Amino acid sequence: MKLDGKKLGTLLIIAVCAAYPYLTGQSGYYMTLFVTTCVFAMAAMALNLLTGYGGQISVGHAGFLMAGGYTVGLLGKAGFPLWIALPAAGVVAALFSLIIGLAAVRLTGHFLAVTTLGFGLSVPLIALKWESLTNGYSGIAVLRPDMLSSDLNMFYFVLLVTILTAWILSNIVKSGMGRAFVAIRESEVAAQASGIPVAFYKTVMFAISAFFTGIAGGINALWIGFISPSDYSIVHSLFLLAIIVVGGLASIPGAIIGAVIYSVIPHFTDSFIGITNMVIGVAVILIIFYRSEGLVSIFRGVRLGGAKTARLEAEGTPPKLGGVGKHDQV
Amino acid sequence: MIKFEHVTVQFAGLTAVQDLSFEVPEGAIYSLIGPNGAGKTTVFNCISRFYTPVRGRILFGGEDLLTWKPHQVIRKGIARSFQNVELFSKMSVLDNLRIGLHSTYKRNIFSIALNLPSVRRTEAELVRRVHEVMELVGIRQLAHEFPANLPFGYQKMVDIARALIARPKLLLLDEPVAGMNQTETNQIGELIRRIKREMNITVLLIEHNMSMVMNISDFITVMNFGQKIAEGRPEEIQQHPEVIRAYLGEVSSDAQVV
Amino acid sequence: MMQVIVSGLIVGCVYGLAALGLVLIYKTTDVINFAHGEIGMVSTYVSFFLLSAAGLHYGLSFFLALIFSALLGMLIYLVVMKRVQQAPHLHQMVVTLALFLILNGAAGFIWGHHPTDYPEAIKGAPLKIGGVYVTPHEIFVACLTLILMGAFFVLFRYTRIGLAMQAASQDGTAARLMGIKVTQVNMMSWMIGAVLGAVAGVLTAPLVLLSLNMMMTILIMAFAAAVLGGFVSLVGAVVGGLIIGVFENLISFYIAPELKLVYTFALIVLMLYIRPQGILGGGKKAVKKV
Repeated sequence: MKLDGKKLGTLLIIAVCAAYPYLTGQSGYYMTLFVTTCVFAMAAMALNLLTGYGGQISVGHAGFLMAGGYTVGLLGKAGFPLWIALPAAGVVAALFSLIIGLAAVRLTGHFLAVTTLGFGLSVPLIALKWESLTNGYSGIAVLRPDMLSSDLNMFYFVLLVTILTAWILSNIVKSGMGRAFVAIRESEVAAQASGIPVAFYKTVMFAISAFFTGIAGGINALWIGFISPSDYSIVHSLFLLAIIVVGGLASIPGAIIGAVIYSVIPHFTDSFIGITNMVIGVAVILIIFYRSEGLVSIFRGVRLGGAKTARLEAEGTPPKLGGVGKHDQV
Repeated sequence: MIKFEHVTVQFAGLTAVQDLSFEVPEGAIYSLIGPNGAGKTTVFNCISRFYTPVRGRILFGGEDLLTWKPHQVIRKGIARSFQNVELFSKMSVLDNLRIGLHSTYKRNIFSIALNLPSVRRTEAELVRRVHEVMELVGIRQLAHEFPANLPFGYQKMVDIARALIARPKLLLLDEPVAGMNQTETNQIGELIRRIKREMNITVLLIEHNMSMVMNISDFITVMNFGQKIAEGRPEEIQQHPEVIRAYLGEVSSDAQVV
Repeated sequence: MMQVIVSGLIVGCVYGLAALGLVLIYKTTDVINFAHGEIGMVSTYVSFFLLSAAGLHYGLSFFLALIFSALLGMLIYLVVMKRVQQAPHLHQMVVTLALFLILNGAAGFIWGHHPTDYPEAIKGAPLKIGGVYVTPHEIFVACLTLILMGAFFVLFRYTRIGLAMQAASQDGTAARLMGIKVTQVNMMSWMIGAVLGAVAGVLTAPLVLLSLNMMMTILIMAFAAAVLGGFVSLVGAVVGGLIIGVFENLISFYIAPELKLVYTFALIVLMLYIRPQGILGGGKKAVKKV
């Protein structure tokens, strides 16, 4: 296996994460902070697949988090083991996504956004109302299997699932399927002409995105030990969008960066109600104004430089040093 | 190879194509010419299944094309390039061309998710085919460029390469040499001839560059205002009075040459 | 049954006004303003503040709140929306969503998270008119809606700025070439949109309690109304509002009040799937030229 800078960096980050509990003395607060970051990172990566790569906006993704949480809780209560309940959380969320996915094939841009907004608002309301299933307002307790009853074990489980999710989603976006998603975003017409069944793929994107978001929701429910209709609201859906925009659309690492920032901000602002929302809102606007590729583009400066150097050369200006990927120009 | 039978296309009261019938023989280079707005791209868009005619049939190899969905068109062996290029701007040329091969490989979400060796082998094969077609079209050096950074002529070549890469039976080219200089035009003309000769691909061409059209076409259909006004070999078309009138307008008997 | 319908129509007036604001902003600037509800909510809080803390008369605080909303709309347009006018749709949408967060957060910070009572425009016992009960407040709502609608259509049809807005909404570039200051027109749209949202907020507050999330439902209902109207027709938006109002009331009464949003969402999905151009929107969607 080639050990280049990127792989080395990734391994280093994973090592630090693995050491985290010991670095922070396994304090409840910091452990929860990390797990919440992981949960939102997973959901953000999943959303990025749909919105960043596929160009389909979703303003109601928190609905999938909730669906996943309830699935894990209910199946756990019914006695199913985790290795069934957790994937089921993803599957249930994916099934929910068909409601939007099938409509998504006919909808673009604004209308899709409104539909997903409606979906996101509806899920908590249904959870509230369907008392026979969900225990309504009081919510349900979510039990962990014995193996994961200690926070430390659960921590590593969460880390493992997050890494796995990141790996799988990376594989997907780099593949022909990932390219097809981007093609759909860029030009549905050319995508069709190239043989991509656009309607089907849109549905698939939604399903995959919902699947991993559902799993993230399940994980969160397991960690907290509880799920109720008030756990996720539209604000969380907006936070997820903010994460991928700030971190970088169409970038898996970007989603992770965004999730870290999202978790760090409340650390400073949560003492004042509402400030968190304001800060995040302002951050998003600033990013859109000044660096719309997201923060991850700071690390991508090299690749961006490549395109810029091509343009500069075309204009007759010699390119700056460090343009990776430049070949001999005619 | 492809046959239009009394095809009429209407958009909310506007008749874009009227009672159009023509047949493209297998292995030919067939051109569709006519003034702007004559309905030529509409013809292509019918074949691509973006539009559905209100009347008529389109037969491809005997099969009724109108039963197909847009994404099935390429699988049946028809690929096209676009008048406005329609490349995927946020992807490199390499990736643009790889998309062109989308229809030729089966994919399985589980293999992809786990990056199994079969997926990696397929990707390697895709890259090989992409290099092959880039060599053929003469754009090997553009692999890592982004369409937005390329001059229009090069973009068109990438678009053509994308259509070619799927090894279609019928290739639709919509104004392939628009925006190109004489050298590039000759290059593309030669490429089209090679496509016909070496790859046995039938070519249906929309073009305004008359010298190229007359040079490489086996047959030509001329359209004006949605209707066919002439059909035949290049020599016949050049003499055809209707064609001359369509392009140059009525010649008044006492017009003065200034 | 009649009672349900009439009450629904009254509520529908509010939705229609909110929808009108949404569609206006969309028609002229091509942006769906997800912060529409929040602008209305903040303005309603301002009105409440003027009413309670400053002790002003209902009418005066209402009026001042409308001025506030117009200024807020103008501010938002000049500081934020103008800069993303040419940006991709996704960016524009995300910006309005960010505004949602900012306004929501600001309101929470300034006024806290507890729902409060909000007074009606005209207090009084319900009157019985032709077999149904209508409160004076509801009559006020209906009348104000008619007046605003009338004023609005006069503005749109007979004034220069109104014509300019029509032109800009149909073709921004052509309008600019004709010398119409599209920036001014867009700003006007945002201001009027904001005012309409504020009116919707103040009129609804007595019924749903003044709270941070009071406009969420109204936003969805306004969207639904706009969708029914095809999202391009101003008249359609208002008519859509009335229909949604009745629909929602029927659901509340016969099924469950908490689920009205869910059913409305289902209606939106159905509508967009079956007839994307809405009940009143006509013609096929433009096909992209390739």
